[in-house]
Amino acid sequence: MLSLLDMLSRDGRRWRHGYELMAETGIRSGTLYPLLMRMTHQGLVEAEWRQPELPGRPARHVYRLTVAGSALAQEARNEAHDLIPKGAATA
Amino acid sequence: MMVGIARLLMRVATRSLGETHREWAWAMQAELQAAVDDKRPVRFALGCVVAAWRQMPGQDEGRFILVNYALALGLLVPMAALQLTCAAGFPLLPFGGAAAVAPGTLQQLYLADAHSAAMPALLALWLLLAAGHFRLAWLLLEHEWARLVQSAALVVAASATLVVFTAVLFLDGTGANLQLMLLPVEVAAIYRSARWHERLIANAAARFPAR
Repeated sequence: MLSLLDMLSRDGRRWRHGYELMAETGIRSGTLYPLLMRMTHQGLVEAEWRQPELPGRPARHVYRLTVAGSALAQEARNEAHDLIPKGAATA
Repeated sequence: MMVGIARLLMRVATRSLGETHREWAWAMQAELQAAVDDKRPVRFALGCVVAAWRQMPGQDEGRFILVNYALALGLLVPMAALQLTCAAGFPLLPFGGAAAVAPGTLQQLYLADAHSAAMPALLALWLLLAAGHFRLAWLLLEHEWARLVQSAALVVAASATLVVFTAVLFLDGTGANLQLMLLPVEVAAIYRSARWHERLIANAAARFPAR
């Protein structure tokens, strides 16, 4: 979930397709979709339908973090930063 | 070929997700083309099946689908297999077409012609029951309740006929009696499943009144 949060929080709150998220995070579809469902249910991720970019293709779902999701991602980043020993961070 | 398998798997995933997650099923299906372009459609579709199955135990509709599969594969299909075994007259099983009258007796000689004449009808009844049970299993998984009631009525009628037939011909009715004993269990389970489905639809309608 952290890697998904991290990926979704990059480039602001850009909308991303499910397959793009899989490719960028390395998370497989069997894990990605339950995560997206849960995060959407918890209000961390929002989803909407986008018209196809090419004719003959189906409309696709896109995802991005909500404000609450962005805040959680920032919090997770801060916590991860605090866990790194100060010497290791400067070395 | 691979795309065909992937599409089949996506259908399984869609069916497993049910009505409450219909939009997620569409979202997964829409991504299949991207997986095809990436030359990994089966891997993606398999993951979607896993994703759908992971959701099932946690929601009422998922549990309903799982129970239906258990009922179909654990009761109805084995019953169909039992009927087929009876129809084939598998010699190692105690039921089938064997006569209950001791061989070599006058009674057995008297009944031999009747048994021979009755065999095609008995065979047809066993096969009808087997087909009926397979159909019941299929319709249960498809939630086709109206057609399921019709098929169940046919199975009940065929079972009653079979019991009468075996009794009149002094045939070993173990298989037919077992069928008759399990029939109320089957009907009760199907009825409970239909009521559960009705409740799910009512809940979904309450949750999404605009749909």
